[in-house]
Amino acid sequence: MTGDPLAPTGTPRGYDLEVQHLKQRAARMGGFALQMVHDGWRAFDQGDRQLAQSVLDRNEMLDHLDDEMEHATIAFLVLRQPAAVDLRTAAALLKMTTHMDRVGRLGYDMCRISTSGKGPRESPQLRALLQRMDEVVESMVRQSLDGLEQGRIDLARDLFRQDDEVDRMHREAQRMVIAELGKNPAAAARLANIVLVSRHLERVADNACKIAEKTIYALTGQRRAEYLPRRPPRFLNEDPV
Amino acid sequence: MNTDAGSVKLAIDHLSAYYGTVRGVEDVSLRIPPQQVTAIIGPSGCGKSTLIRCLNRLHETLPGARVEGQVLLDGENLYDLDPTLVRRRVGMVFQKPNPFATMSIYGNVSAPLRFNSRMPREEMDRIVVQSLKRAALWDEVRDRTDAPATSLSGGQQQRLCIARSLAADPEVLLMDEPCSALDPIATAKIEELIAQLKKDYTVVIVTHNMQQAARVADSTAFMYLGKLVEFGPTEQLFERPRERLTEAYITGRFG
Repeated sequence: MTGDPLAPTGTPRGYDLEVQHLKQRAARMGGFALQMVHDGWRAFDQGDRQLAQSVLDRNEMLDHLDDEMEHATIAFLVLRQPAAVDLRTAAALLKMTTHMDRVGRLGYDMCRISTSGKGPRESPQLRALLQRMDEVVESMVRQSLDGLEQGRIDLARDLFRQDDEVDRMHREAQRMVIAELGKNPAAAARLANIVLVSRHLERVADNACKIAEKTIYALTGQRRAEYLPRRPPRFLNEDPV
Repeated sequence: MNTDAGSVKLAIDHLSAYYGTVRGVEDVSLRIPPQQVTAIIGPSGCGKSTLIRCLNRLHETLPGARVEGQVLLDGENLYDLDPTLVRRRVGMVFQKPNPFATMSIYGNVSAPLRFNSRMPREEMDRIVVQSLKRAALWDEVRDRTDAPATSLSGGQQQRLCIARSLAADPEVLLMDEPCSALDPIATAKIEELIAQLKKDYTVVIVTHNMQQAARVADSTAFMYLGKLVEFGPTEQLFERPRERLTEAYITGRFG
């Protein structure tokens, strides 16, 4: 054997194209799940039952995409018997798609709340906070999918900082709901829905971070505990020290 | 990569092996732990077979071949010992099964005993049966140990060769691509056997088949152009190699 074995050949191999194709398929599934969250929030915000129903109807398709990804990834594992970065990518994709499925399910769950017709519009400050939360959370999911597809660790790492911001907004929403509940106990059902949606958005952000963790693992082999200091668990209404 | 002296069976220390002026193995240092399977992988011509042939002093039997550095077996330099004694303590199984074609199954397994000592027949019988059992062949040949070795299938012949090596009561068993001439079923049997053998022996296996290394080995060494590139726990080497060269090889990007 002669020459530098690490020199790029200039021609992508079928194998590399297969890995890229799997990543693209996963990112498309993530995009589908993200749209369910986007529409789930809008349906809740606007009390749009028709939109809510359309999201509920998409759940079957989400399951189908999840199954398809699982089959395609297992076929890749069986037929290609990958090692190192390719093995890590396949293993990461299997986990990632579970998190994407959860993202879509959280959109679905927001729609189940919205069909009760108790939206946030009567509490403008809370609504503005949730609106902002939804924007950040959606951008996080999009960024996690870009990180996966483009193989960018920087995009993935940046999400952990944004997750702290979402956690902070969720705690703020809880505080505002408690304050409003004191003033207007009759609005309890509507306010409970707001807390639920806030919690669902916060969980979407967590799943975006999980997708990012798997991207970092696929690219570097590093697991979360190796690059992020472990934080003690705390109660949801507790501010970080 | 290193372990303490107590858990090292073979310590390869700055070993280089030459064919005339050509260096086939270049300054390799490696600690092989006892009662484990260590695999050596790498592309053709990387020096992996040459390296293991230095571990029982077979390399130096070739004209013009020589070795620099040392190999310590339980702390003793092999190159200070009698080569015949070394080859009894460090047995070897080759790529193609090589039973003595004119001998019976019994004759093959007892050959090392007959060459090396005047042993009572009962003792010889006991060792032959024990070796065939350890090589997972006894159940298939117990009724025909007088049959010619060549009447066995390829996979059985390879296990016969393993039994023959075990009869000499080695401490280390070297295997140079022991399954490359076998079908998947015979390969699976040998791999199962390797897992059993490591309870009593230290096994070093050279293989082209990375999946085989992943299946059988506790530790794996990757060699390239005569040099040791990386050595570590098999799981780590295949999931998260430290060296870019290892990564490129095991993901099929060269080699």
